[in-house]
Amino acid sequence: MSTAATAPQRTAPAIGAPVVEARGVVMRFGGLVAVNNVDLTVHEGEIVGLIGPNGAGKTTFFNCLTGMYKPTEGQVTLSGETLPPKPRRVVTAGMARTFQNIRLFSNMTSLENVMVGRYCRTSAGPLTSILRGPKYKREEAATRERAQELLDFVGLGDKAEHLSRNLPYGDQRRLEIARALATDPKVILLDEPTAGMNPQETRQASDLIFRIRDMGIAVVVIEHDMRFIFNLCDRVLCLVRGETLIEGSPAEVQSDPRVIEAYIGGGTDDEEEQA
Amino acid sequence: MRYALPTLSDETRAKHAAKGWPLALLGSALLLVSGLLSWSYDDRILGDISIRFWPVGVQIMAMVLGALGVAFALMDRGPLRRVGNWLDVALGLRALSTGVLVFVALVLAAIATEAGGLVNVNEGGWIALVGALLMFVGSRFVPQRELGQMHSARIPGWAEILVIALSMAAVLFLAAYLLNQDDAWLFVLGLAFIIALSMGLARSGFFTWFGHVAQRHKHVLTLAAFAVAFLFPFTQNGSDANMSIATQVLIFAATAIGLNIVVGLAGLLDLGYIAFLGSGAYIGAMMSNSAFATIGWKPPFLVTMLIGAIVASIFGLIIGSPTLRVSGDYLAIVTLAFGEIFRLAMFNLDGNNGPKLTNGPNGIPGIPDLQIGSFNFGDTHNVFGIPLGRFSNYYFILLLLIGFIILVFTRLNNSRIGRGWVAIREDERAAEAMGVNVFGLKLLAFAGGAFLAGLAGTIKAHQDSAVSPDQYLFLESAFLLAAVVLGGMGTIAGVLIGATILKLMPEKLRFFSEYRLLLFGLLLVLMMRFRPEGLVASRRRQLEFHDEDESLAEEVEDWHLEDVR
Amino acid sequence: MDTFAQQLVNGLTLGSLYALIAVGYTVVYGIVQLINFAHGEVFMIGAFGALSTYLLLFQGQTSLWILPVMIIGAVIASVATAVIMERVAYRPLRGAPRLAPLITAIGISVFLQEFVRLFYDKIPGTNFPSAKQRIPFPRIEGVTGTAFEAGGVVVQKSALFTIGCLIMCAALLWYFINRTKLGHAMQAVSQDPDTARLMGINVDRIIVVAFALGAALAAIAGVAQGLQNANINFKIGFTAGLKAFTAAVLGGIGNIQGAVVGGLVLGVVEALATQYVPGQFGGSAWKDVWAFALLIIVLVFRPQGLLGAKVVDRA
Repeated sequence: MSTAATAPQRTAPAIGAPVVEARGVVMRFGGLVAVNNVDLTVHEGEIVGLIGPNGAGKTTFFNCLTGMYKPTEGQVTLSGETLPPKPRRVVTAGMARTFQNIRLFSNMTSLENVMVGRYCRTSAGPLTSILRGPKYKREEAATRERAQELLDFVGLGDKAEHLSRNLPYGDQRRLEIARALATDPKVILLDEPTAGMNPQETRQASDLIFRIRDMGIAVVVIEHDMRFIFNLCDRVLCLVRGETLIEGSPAEVQSDPRVIEAYIGGGTDDEEEQA
Repeated sequence: MRYALPTLSDETRAKHAAKGWPLALLGSALLLVSGLLSWSYDDRILGDISIRFWPVGVQIMAMVLGALGVAFALMDRGPLRRVGNWLDVALGLRALSTGVLVFVALVLAAIATEAGGLVNVNEGGWIALVGALLMFVGSRFVPQRELGQMHSARIPGWAEILVIALSMAAVLFLAAYLLNQDDAWLFVLGLAFIIALSMGLARSGFFTWFGHVAQRHKHVLTLAAFAVAFLFPFTQNGSDANMSIATQVLIFAATAIGLNIVVGLAGLLDLGYIAFLGSGAYIGAMMSNSAFATIGWKPPFLVTMLIGAIVASIFGLIIGSPTLRVSGDYLAIVTLAFGEIFRLAMFNLDGNNGPKLTNGPNGIPGIPDLQIGSFNFGDTHNVFGIPLGRFSNYYFILLLLIGFIILVFTRLNNSRIGRGWVAIREDERAAEAMGVNVFGLKLLAFAGGAFLAGLAGTIKAHQDSAVSPDQYLFLESAFLLAAVVLGGMGTIAGVLIGATILKLMPEKLRFFSEYRLLLFGLLLVLMMRFRPEGLVASRRRQLEFHDEDESLAEEVEDWHLEDVR
Repeated sequence: MDTFAQQLVNGLTLGSLYALIAVGYTVVYGIVQLINFAHGEVFMIGAFGALSTYLLLFQGQTSLWILPVMIIGAVIASVATAVIMERVAYRPLRGAPRLAPLITAIGISVFLQEFVRLFYDKIPGTNFPSAKQRIPFPRIEGVTGTAFEAGGVVVQKSALFTIGCLIMCAALLWYFINRTKLGHAMQAVSQDPDTARLMGINVDRIIVVAFALGAALAAIAGVAQGLQNANINFKIGFTAGLKAFTAAVLGGIGNIQGAVVGGLVLGVVEALATQYVPGQFGGSAWKDVWAFALLIIVLVFRPQGLLGAKVVDRA
């Protein structure tokens, strides 16, 4: 169902102005160059995939984008402004993320998790919180309402009061996306959103990502699942050993012999390691 | 992570089920009747328990426990069966009987030591013992039954409020009774009675039900609790002895709730918290009318209070500032070092080793009583013909203060800021990545907690009428922490209970004071081992301490869904 | 110049003491990332262990050969305390939130102090003095009195003993960690306990060894402290423990050389501050304040310490 239904959406992406621009990003750890001179531009309403074999520097690059690391050279801008190297400021500037290994606030309910996401868009301070005037009540109600909306959006509307640690795995991934969306991002970065999912959940995930894109939010996805990436993305960037191997449409990347080679090499290595 | 004593297998239990119930009922009935008999030949001990058909003190307690046992038994099968099909009476009966056995054994021990030997025990005591043993044995064989849903147990709203009112009245009565016991044995027996009663009620699920009721009528419960606290001085007939203890408890509790913001809500360990109470107290003393006060300016007390609180919160900001760079254990040690620096500084600033601010080891004595308007806190005032002395006056102002602190605590907890704190506790880096201002919120916890402690300190200076450095040892910080840990991180009721236990016990049990610290150390170790979330646990905290307990998570979720419904 | 040299000697003596205790914090932290707050009490118990050995076996004697036996007594007392502590209180809490072991440590600390205070004179089969006041520590020939005087600088024999102990312990420790199988296993566990376990190392045993090792050094420090101050009491563990922790952090917690360097630096800084901080804030009244202030400054500006910590920022 997903390929047929989503194909028309993909052929007509409403590409807008550039949102994220990474220019010449270099990240060195001591003598090790993890990311070398990588460029990336993401436009409004675009889904960009980031692929590469294990150890290609995807996650390091990702962390440079989200302010976890400060790049050794080069810069990352969001809507033309340089991103501050602090995760919190990055969120306020309009870039949200999810984590590869789910990092929900596990003893909070789903609703509360999403409400934490609203933190940077609300302002009630200690005094207002203690006095509880009408402004406070309005803000709190709005936060709750928005959080519920987002839960409905990702399909967890009826699980608002469940503890997030009790949710099934797929729901936890979706809850993380809802929490990230609550920060009103211009761009959302998803780190392996389908890791550990079954095919049906994967389909639902790509459906959800399309719907996020349709809201006008740019999406960057790191993923190992090739079929998922090539069905989903408007553009794909392939990293190998910290450098850009190729950037282009899914069709271009898919048919590039170097990509196949990099993957077959890396892929077998992976399997041997795990075996 | 739950520990349970070895229990009987289900087969053995099923085999003897028919005998268990009658035994338990008979035992409870015996206990109930024993209260009417004579317990001792000696009429001078435990408030004269030698007269038949004139139950006093421990005899009444035994009758109450017996009555609860009978009620539980009749709820299991019999006329009361309909009352609560959601009450797990079998478990309740077992827990109750264990408590009862300990209680009766203690009573007999008390008679033996006070009157000289077990020969002084009369028929009532022995019958109570037989009853307790029968209860204990019988209840082991009462099988657990199929439980009904908790939410089917709704009773009309007015009845729920009545339950709250009755419970509060019982609390007031028990507190007044316990505090008025000068006899250490009666005090201990009273405690044993309360523990037995609570064990039975807790295991049967009554407290769970009461928790839901309290949740539905939060405001009624709070009002009722304050009404009880407000009425307490009127039960003392103008005697200041207990009121002095009560004010100590209130100051201690107020400070501990402030600490609970830091430890329970923000999840930061502060081992130097007493310094904030101390800076408030020193400011209060230095700006008081004491002959030894070192600051010439004497503003109205409310201004002094505010200055004390602000100075304390500035210290809080300074102590909190390392949280930007260090966390966890490191932070705890930093706060400990700050606490020591505070004490040493107060000890040294005597004019020889630094500016003359604190009079060094002598401190600032002779602080006069508070005077707000024409109301002097040192005088005795008559209200409705009941004299209220000096400590009662302080009690009321402290009650106001603690009300304010509780308000701050709960409102911060249930707000955007409280959610931020939970997020930090759960996963600091994820919180930061979701846009939560981690450093700001940690500082807020330190400064806010310090502010509240500073307020309490300024009152404490007047109430103690002296300040000196040796009131602010590390041990005092450890005590505050213990109140939080014992009572329950993140809850108000827990800290109130913790503070009461830690302050009341040593006052009432003089013989125990020598071993107070020893037991206190042991208590901390045991609590961390067996119930790290405290006596009255915040549900979220409980989950955090039992990360791998899936069934607990389900239980908490059901509870939450029940409240939301 | 004389005063400076004298303060330097005082500082190094004090610092050696801190260093011996600090190693215990650092070894345990390196292995289990736990600040064993009760380590100061282990030191105190070491001092009492030595005293008890003396009172039981050698009362009234002063010859030097007693000293090694006293040290053995001290080590046995401290190591037993530390191992029991680990087994009973800390081990069940592994994997619990980090607040739990720290609060436990405070509980143990208070408990041990009170235990010694209340029961030292009630140990059956002995007639030890009550520990509610200071107890004089035996004066042993050869480590009591002035060793030599050079250019106005007085060096006590007990100071030489303390510094000597540190040098010897440091050398033995270095050998143990780098040249023995058990030492290598400890290094492996501190790097990655899970992998070490998979490699067949008994992690529980290594943790016990770490506690015992720290306790043995603390016991020796306890003897040195007794000889220097000529008396001991149940409270000596608190401040000494806090100072030694400062030393461990100063050098970089988890780093054994760091603990030694940190201890010496802290001792010297304290001694010099007593002498050279001008005006009313100088003198011995404020020396503890400067030591704790140093701790805070280090933690805020260089949490990895002078020589670098194994782990900089643990939640």
